[in-house]
Amino acid sequence: MLGRIANWYRGWEDELVAVLAQPELTARMPKGRRRCHAQVLADMPPLQRAQLRAFLLKYSGARRYCALAGLALVFSFGGVLLHLASPGVGWLQAILTINLFGFLIAAALGSAWFDYRRLIQKRIKLMLAVVVFGAISAVASVALVALVNGQPVAIALTRMSHFMSGVTAGGLVIILPVLAISLWRNRQYEALNAQLQREAEQAKLARELSESQLRLLRAQIEPHFLFNTLGAVQQLAQQGAPRAAELTGNLIDFLRSSMRDMRSEQVSLAAEFGLVESYLKVMQVRLGERLRYSLQLPRALEQVQLPTMILLTLVENAIKHGIEPALRGGEVTVSAQAEEGTLRIRVQDGGVGMSTIAEPDGGGGTGLDNVRHRLRLAYGDQAGLHLLDGDPGLIADITIPHPATA
Amino acid sequence: MNPNPTVLVAEDEPLMRERLLDMLAQSWPEACVVLVAENGNDAWDGFLEHEPDVAFLDIRMPGLSGLEVAERIGSMAQVVFVTAYDQYAVDAFDAGAVDYLLKPVQPDRLERALARLKAKLVQPPEDGAAMGELLRHLKTALPGMRQERTKWIKASVGRQVRVIDVDEVLFFQSDTRYTRIVLRDYEALVRTPLKDLLSTLDPDRFWQIHRATVVNVNAIAAAERLDAERMQVLVKGSAEKLAVSRTFVHLFRE
Repeated sequence: MLGRIANWYRGWEDELVAVLAQPELTARMPKGRRRCHAQVLADMPPLQRAQLRAFLLKYSGARRYCALAGLALVFSFGGVLLHLASPGVGWLQAILTINLFGFLIAAALGSAWFDYRRLIQKRIKLMLAVVVFGAISAVASVALVALVNGQPVAIALTRMSHFMSGVTAGGLVIILPVLAISLWRNRQYEALNAQLQREAEQAKLARELSESQLRLLRAQIEPHFLFNTLGAVQQLAQQGAPRAAELTGNLIDFLRSSMRDMRSEQVSLAAEFGLVESYLKVMQVRLGERLRYSLQLPRALEQVQLPTMILLTLVENAIKHGIEPALRGGEVTVSAQAEEGTLRIRVQDGGVGMSTIAEPDGGGGTGLDNVRHRLRLAYGDQAGLHLLDGDPGLIADITIPHPATA
Repeated sequence: MNPNPTVLVAEDEPLMRERLLDMLAQSWPEACVVLVAENGNDAWDGFLEHEPDVAFLDIRMPGLSGLEVAERIGSMAQVVFVTAYDQYAVDAFDAGAVDYLLKPVQPDRLERALARLKAKLVQPPEDGAAMGELLRHLKTALPGMRQERTKWIKASVGRQVRVIDVDEVLFFQSDTRYTRIVLRDYEALVRTPLKDLLSTLDPDRFWQIHRATVVNVNAIAAAERLDAERMQVLVKGSAEKLAVSRTFVHLFRE
């Protein structure tokens, strides 16, 4: 019989430990009380589940029985002390009472230690419940004593006020440490959680950065870009045209400044406009009169910092999705303007326009997601990327905070 | 075989175009380049005009892509694709239905392609099934090959500007510098040339039946045979009869 109960309990606990590791398991459990209990565990935040699971695994089997026996021993010793302090209380009564209260308090503290999130959220409810329960039990027990002893109500009332303060004090003795432990554990939890979040954010940032570096590398060695440019160089060289040297020079500028971009996270607008200009010069030799371009960067804004690659991505998009597919080409304008605390950088192409921008490019996505993401990482909600119909073509606007003009 | 095969070259980048023309002049002097196109629309329109034996087509071009032009050409000419897509993407070509050159084109590779091409030119033309299969595959396999279709066309009718739902158009007809758009109740003129409108229309719904005529399939009432080579199309809701040129007669074979 005892063995069966132990087995049943062990099975149940194994199930709970499994749920703590994989909360989605509850969905597959049969409906009933066990599922309800499991659901309570599954609803805990991951960090808390991990703590509880570690505890259950650490104190499992013989180790748990030893710990419980140890506690019982300590409580029994307390009972002996109580008996010696007030001989009116019998041996057995003292030991049992202290054990009962001891385990109750231990259970309360244990739940505070592991289920602190819920206790913190429901602390008002909890205090109210203790007070109401105390009051009801006081009234009930006093009424019962008065009834049994046949005492007058006045005496019963004086006893009741004593009893009430006793119960309240007792309740507070339990509830205060429970709340204190919950608060402390909760603060610990929040600190740990914040740290984990910071670490995750940092890891994400690092990943983002290497992703955009990879993108840049891919853009440089993208077959259409590199081979067509080299083909153009080859043709010019064969014709003995001086433009061959010029085109090679621009290609070198482009490759060199994109290498620089790869090594840093932020770059000055002047440097980024330089990168874009060398790219546009290369593309103009290739596309001939189908591409015209202009760049407007006010002197005052030259040293403003911007995350790398963002501007080039937009200009590449303008060429790839605006100018190249357009039968008669178009003009790409890149400009920067500061107004009322924000800096607006605009890339406009006079090409085919809005309907084609949704078309994914070779690398999957137009790179715009990447731009949005990098802006969010650098400026939070203060920066943005907006696409407007340029009629003809498309306008891509980046806005970033620029405190100097606020 | 024609001692001087005629050649079409379509490439959107001017230097790459010059390069291919220079190399062709050197490696295949007997060939006669009859048309040089800067985009897919001009390539297809020029193909209908000149009916060359060979077409060198860049895959990524404004307007119709090289793949779409090749699809329209079918087995009417030998097609060689010129592409900067890397080896991985062009593996599909190795099935052999069509040849390709990687950009920038290098002389030895061009020599080999030309040798194969000359051999094919003396054989009777194959049926276009294998090539059709390959083109369908390439259109989905190569990135950036999806074509946007026009739903609406803005056209002036008298002093009004009308927005025309393309599905309601009976047929389009080239009229020197304009395109005539004929609908059930009225007709309109737009300045866009037919060859450029054509590239934005769904080829399954709008059939080109002549270099100068594109008809809505749903508006075709019947096609009549005039003689061994010529046909004409009767259009629902219009008294006009539209000539079908020899190139497109195959559309109406049962």
